[in-house]
Amino acid sequence: MRNLLANREKRFNLAVTVALFLMSLLFVLPLYWTAVFATRTLSEVFQFPPPIWFGSSMLDNYARIEAVFPPFRPIINSIIVAVPKTIGLVLVSALAGYGFARYVRAPGRGFLLGATFATLFFPPSLALIPFFLQMGWLGWLNTFWPLIVPAVASGFGVIWMYTYIGSTIPRELYEAAEMDGAKGFATFFFVVLPIIRPGLAALAVWTVIGTWNEFQLPLVVLGDGTLFTVPLALTTLSTTHYTDTPAVMLSTLMGLVPVFLLFALLSRQFIAGLTSGAVKS
Amino acid sequence: MGNVSTDFRPLIILTFINHLIIEAPNGKVIMAAANVRSGVMVRRNRAFYASVAPFFAIFVAFSIFPVVFSFYLGLSDWDGFSEPEFVGLANYSRALQDPVFQKAIWNTLYLWFWSTILTVGLALGLAVMVNEYVLGGKTYFRLVFLLPLLVAPAIAAILLRVFFTSNGGIVNMLVGAAQGQPSYFNWLASEFWIKPLVVLLVIWRWTGWHMIIFLAGLQSIPRDIYEAARMDGVGRWAIFSRITLPLLFPSLAFSIITATLGGVQMFDEPFVLTQGQGGTNNSTTTLGMYLYATAFSQFDFGLGAAVSWYIFAAVVAFTLLHRSITKRLGA
Repeated sequence: MRNLLANREKRFNLAVTVALFLMSLLFVLPLYWTAVFATRTLSEVFQFPPPIWFGSSMLDNYARIEAVFPPFRPIINSIIVAVPKTIGLVLVSALAGYGFARYVRAPGRGFLLGATFATLFFPPSLALIPFFLQMGWLGWLNTFWPLIVPAVASGFGVIWMYTYIGSTIPRELYEAAEMDGAKGFATFFFVVLPIIRPGLAALAVWTVIGTWNEFQLPLVVLGDGTLFTVPLALTTLSTTHYTDTPAVMLSTLMGLVPVFLLFALLSRQFIAGLTSGAVKS
Repeated sequence: MGNVSTDFRPLIILTFINHLIIEAPNGKVIMAAANVRSGVMVRRNRAFYASVAPFFAIFVAFSIFPVVFSFYLGLSDWDGFSEPEFVGLANYSRALQDPVFQKAIWNTLYLWFWSTILTVGLALGLAVMVNEYVLGGKTYFRLVFLLPLLVAPAIAAILLRVFFTSNGGIVNMLVGAAQGQPSYFNWLASEFWIKPLVVLLVIWRWTGWHMIIFLAGLQSIPRDIYEAARMDGVGRWAIFSRITLPLLFPSLAFSIITATLGGVQMFDEPFVLTQGQGGTNNSTTTLGMYLYATAFSQFDFGLGAAVSWYIFAAVVAFTLLHRSITKRLGA
């Protein structure tokens, strides 16, 4: 009887595993097909049954993209935006988070922290139109500045860093640093920053991926096609050359590769960032 | 505005609240030890302001100012060139009377409701299966469902367009093969199907994210509860509905509010899927798309700003509703 039950359980578990595996294939299938189509000719893509393995036409497809626009330009544009923004955002957030976490008795601290927290509830669309006008007055439309400079101040990043520093750095450490004569900024750079590296990495990974995928803001502030970041350039290409499926798929694939590489290298930080709040709940 | 990813916002809110609860006693200890000389105090205060100054300088200039200005814009009639004119609440009532705006409310609610229910439901099922029944490969399952989240919503929409093209798209080929004659159905122009396609996009991208949240919640449930229940001969369904689900409630509540805040503000997916047109007869124009069109196609900045405050009101309403429900259910 016991054996029979155990057997039934095993069979159920096996069925679940197989079903889940098939489900996971379904989730990856669009990405896989993107890669397959990117290596096929136009006529192969429209065959039935559709190709399920890679072809040999990738270079031809690449040549056709190159005839329309430099395929690496959007990728370089996205890097130009993502790198300075991420470095700035991580540093500014960590510094402010450190201030909030360390100087708990400073007048106005509670108000500032509460206000920063409250702004997290403001939908980005609330500021979209005035932000656009403001960028116009500054002469920043059609440049990368609107995507970099304002984005460095992220209420979200500050709250994250405040929480992270508060829970990883014991207060005794500040006192010890003070005894040794270290000023506030020196403590930040030489004591705090090295300790919170995992938190910085998690925030950085999320910032890069969020920036890479950002669509609405670049759409509003960038008018010039040569400045388009990856999602914008691909959207434009897929609209103007929608009949050339392999070329669209190949350029899409190229835009995805950097993010997937980053994920492959730093998936641990990515997931750590994801569950940092949920685990405690 | 231009912040990291809106995707992530509610998570940090939750962490922050937890942190306040956990850290509160710590603060008191510091208060008690506050017999420091005033010179030290002044220096410390200065250090505090210096450390938060870079953040607040940029934040006030580029995030707070636009929001305040948006309030003013919502009360004005302005095309960006001529002199702005104060019109009171005219923009707000004009929006309400516009049938397209009314449709956008309905579309947004439809997309929010179905994408939230289906994504959260599927993720919950997957998480429970992975946590309790899967024989192996847990790391694989944790990672593989997350991959679509790396794909920008706009790019995911491009892929979906390719697969659902009327002429020679892979979906029509499969439909054609199934019914024995070629299919040229135009999914993207269909007033009915375009919304389910947007929902499909959301499910594809977000299921893995919610699954990770649920897995984290599930792992905090002690294993021996399950062992004991199984010893007593409790069935799988009863274990799920009587043990797992109630104990998973905080994760579930968090997951739903995240999906809701994202759903109310949806823009990228329907915009790219319909090439900015909102589908046939605005069948999938969302509030975010309506805002974009009024401001950046018609240069009716006042109306656009008013719409953004409606979206804000929706976010506040949903947040309050969520809070009162979670309180009543006693998380």
